[in-house]
Amino acid sequence: MSDAQIASPGRRILLFDGDCAVCRTIARWVTRSSAPQPGRSTLIVRPIGHDPEALHALNLSLDIWDAYATIHLVMPDGSMKLGGEAVAEVLRNLPGTRWFAWLFAVRVFGHRPFQAVLDLGYLVLADVRPLLGCESCGSKNPYVTKAKALVDFFTAPRTSGGHHSRRSS
Amino acid sequence: MNISGATDAIHDVAESTFASLVLAGSGPIVVEFMSYGCSHCRTLEPVIEHVAEELTSRETFFRVNVGMEGELADRYGVTGTPTLVMFRDAREVGRVVGPRPDASSLTLALTQPFER
Repeated sequence: MSDAQIASPGRRILLFDGDCAVCRTIARWVTRSSAPQPGRSTLIVRPIGHDPEALHALNLSLDIWDAYATIHLVMPDGSMKLGGEAVAEVLRNLPGTRWFAWLFAVRVFGHRPFQAVLDLGYLVLADVRPLLGCESCGSKNPYVTKAKALVDFFTAPRTSGGHHSRRSS
Repeated sequence: MNISGATDAIHDVAESTFASLVLAGSGPIVVEFMSYGCSHCRTLEPVIEHVAEELTSRETFFRVNVGMEGELADRYGVTGTPTLVMFRDAREVGRVVGPRPDASSLTLALTQPFER
């Protein structure tokens, strides 16, 4: 990606885990969904990569460990949206989803119920990625670990444990 | 540049510097092959930094970012991260794959191979 692209005013940069099959699928969908507006897309989708310095070039406060732990959207003003907030902002910027994305800003008695549901959905999806085919994702939740072990037991033989396979899925 | 968050007790090493720093290095040397996308590496990070600080007078610690140094990882048969490889006199004397993030057991795992 060129610096000119990065510096394009008004464009948000969505960072995704390029080693995660689930994240790649979602990133492809976002890219395709923003494609109907060539030259007018407000989103740049790019993998996090492995170079902490390259991320610092995007935004000085971007920490590569954090970027892998939670979805990050770098806003044109340099601020960042994380997790469910980042997902909502992406949906607000896609032609096919912006019609309902306004819901995430709706406040009821000071709370944003639709955003809360989206936050929860994001957390669940992030956690169950190993069950959806991500070989590079770990989970600290015992139920996911156990379910993954069960899936592994019934599928292809492979080593598992407290480490991250270098095979890309 | 030192990898984000790393302490001075752990030095970055790459393909271009591996021979001079690790293979030609003196004394016990521990090389951590890690990647940022690996959640276990993140869990282990503060533990290995603590252990490296504790052992800094006895052992030298290096870190290889396998996302950037894939060939180096392949050469040493690293199939998953984190993998810690112990070297002395340019020879591998031990290896730990996916250690528990526990300081005492990690210290033991990283010192025992040098006591044989």
